[in-house]
Amino acid sequence: MIPEILQAIVFPGVLFTIGMGFLFDWLDRKTAARMQGRIGPKITGPAGILQPLADFLKLLFKEEVIPSHADRVIFLFAPALYFLAPLLSMLFIPILGLKPIAGFDFDLLAILFLLAYAAFVVAVLSYSSASSFTTVATGRLVLQYVSYEIPLVLAIITAAVYSRSLSVEGIVASQARVWNIVVMPLAFTVYIVALMAELEKPPFDIPSAKTEIVAGWLTEFSGRALSFLKLTKEVSYVFGSALAVSLFLGGGLGPELNIALPDWLVYFIYFMAKLMVVGFLIFVLKTALARIKIGQATELFWKTLTPLSLAQVAIILILIHGGVLVAT
Amino acid sequence: MSLENSTPIHREESAGLMKYSAENLVPFGPIHPALKEPEYFKLILEGERIIEVVPRIGYVHRGLEKAAEMRPWVQNMYMFERTCGICSFVHSLTYGQAVEGLTMYEVPRRAKFIRTIIAELERIHSHLLWVGLMGHWAGFETLFMWVWRDREIVLDLVEAISGNRIHKSMNAICGVRRDMPENMEDRIIERMKFLVDRANYYKEIVDTEETMLERTEDIGRTSADTAEKLCAVGPMARYVGLQRDIRLNDPYAAYDEVPFDIVTSNKGDVHALLKLRLDEMIVSANMVSYAMKHLPDGPIRVKIPPVIPAGEHSSHSEAPRGEIFYYVKSGGGRTPERVKSRQPTMANLPTALEILKGQTIADVPVVLTAIDPCFGCMDRMSFLDTETNQHWTWSGEELRQYGINYYFPERKKKR
Repeated sequence: MIPEILQAIVFPGVLFTIGMGFLFDWLDRKTAARMQGRIGPKITGPAGILQPLADFLKLLFKEEVIPSHADRVIFLFAPALYFLAPLLSMLFIPILGLKPIAGFDFDLLAILFLLAYAAFVVAVLSYSSASSFTTVATGRLVLQYVSYEIPLVLAIITAAVYSRSLSVEGIVASQARVWNIVVMPLAFTVYIVALMAELEKPPFDIPSAKTEIVAGWLTEFSGRALSFLKLTKEVSYVFGSALAVSLFLGGGLGPELNIALPDWLVYFIYFMAKLMVVGFLIFVLKTALARIKIGQATELFWKTLTPLSLAQVAIILILIHGGVLVAT
Repeated sequence: MSLENSTPIHREESAGLMKYSAENLVPFGPIHPALKEPEYFKLILEGERIIEVVPRIGYVHRGLEKAAEMRPWVQNMYMFERTCGICSFVHSLTYGQAVEGLTMYEVPRRAKFIRTIIAELERIHSHLLWVGLMGHWAGFETLFMWVWRDREIVLDLVEAISGNRIHKSMNAICGVRRDMPENMEDRIIERMKFLVDRANYYKEIVDTEETMLERTEDIGRTSADTAEKLCAVGPMARYVGLQRDIRLNDPYAAYDEVPFDIVTSNKGDVHALLKLRLDEMIVSANMVSYAMKHLPDGPIRVKIPPVIPAGEHSSHSEAPRGEIFYYVKSGGGRTPERVKSRQPTMANLPTALEILKGQTIADVPVVLTAIDPCFGCMDRMSFLDTETNQHWTWSGEELRQYGINYYFPERKKKR
């Protein structure tokens, strides 16, 4: 087994998460390209797998321009604060066996806090760059946030209610026999849709709609800050999918393998396979849809998804109290 | 040169602009990802809603009309073809028709059919390009990629016929320069069948894809009255039910011999425009197949002397975007005395600005794209003194005098 400090920094902690971010970016681009009749990245590395890393490094060495009206302190430090959110959250996800690196009894609450924190930091750093495009983008960002937040949290809470646990570890352990997706398909659907809104993937790429408000809240960033902001988006992608796997798809639990492999490796393989499935689901959805408008997104979340997620909580509670389901 | 339609709007609205603070103003252009050509629109916002749009045109003025006055008649044909990078053929066609009106020669029938075929192929390619861009601007990249892949079919056909993909250089005065290659008939008809299938498929996508419907339905609504009052042309007039199509109203080339239906809609929103353009593509594909089957034999051009008799003549035709108009004046020399052209984007801009009011900022690219803008074609020059708010244009004679003084300053000194 790997020493704990190495686990946190290298595998499956910070460096692994960043690597997964690059891999997801590559898979995303490749899937979209194949669906659209293109080839996608293919020059850097085998089948272009190193292209996201190359893009990241290239941006890292570009000149950084700070707009004269910008709030310099926030403008310079907020990207780093934003980068922390998904990286920290990833430490609460069990990847090698049931025990996450930084898990504790109420770590689901920490994850919820970090989700809110990330949205808040983005709004602040967007507003700090003080241009008309980012101002419009901030408005859209906040509006989108208040729309998807409640369904997203309710979907997460449904899993917690059913498993009687506020730690990711407990929720995963409770799915040893039946995955949560079988018990609460609605919550999983709501979670995926809200996740796409959180990640600003089409049809919810409203705050960064490039044909309307240039690059949205990213408009004024360049060089180092831009490269890290883009990387953060990819890492959030990995984190969002990993949370979906842990909450609804039974984490790394799966049927016994008859091969002599260490337990942590079996868990890891199952986990990665499920992570890819969730990631792929989002890649396909985002490629097949057109962007909607902010009003339509708000309507969708408040009129459809929030009632749906509330109904899901109610159904689970009724089934438990009626004795149909046994809370695990 | 005159600014025609857009000048009064510019003046009225810049006067009313003072009451809005700078915070409500979002610049749209001149450099903007949604605009492939530089043009500037000041959007006055109230939250996300647009209450005022002020255009500022003229970023890509190239002085084509002036340049035409110092080039031979034939050379002008290929220069006007370069007015636009999309509907290039129809420009040389209309200019050619205006010049042919001054000569006494008749265009051979085979040449007329070849012109019709190329013009319709160009319409298909332009409409495909537009549908793709519509997808791109509505945030639907997949539609964009698919449609542009199908557009290659048309470009390959055009290349097989003329040797070029975009600037076909097919027209000559009183004829066409290249004959239709041998054995093209089967190939073109087969490819047209495929394109009709694809157009039907895209119509299905546009009708059933929820996110696309949400972006296009009820967006860019206007009435037939508004469109008529603001002189909309082409698809922008047809999508509110006006029967405006030069091919039908005043047939040119072989349009009186090739049967076709005019496509109109009464819905008057961007969704209707999408379907209308896809329907027009199907009509055009059938026209190309028909014209290929009935292509007459005979010569393809008449040789004409380089000097065109004195007189003036005008011609118009239906470009993919709407009506194109050319006026030509000859003094009996080797070069024209005056050429005036008007492009459909110019005619459709007032309608688009009217539609934009009351929409949200998310609709700006969609509505501006709806008119299929081509600012490079459109830009003209006029004079505006911002201090006294005086506005004037020059007559042909004044412009001529200015040109003479500019290029031959010594003559001015002598006078």
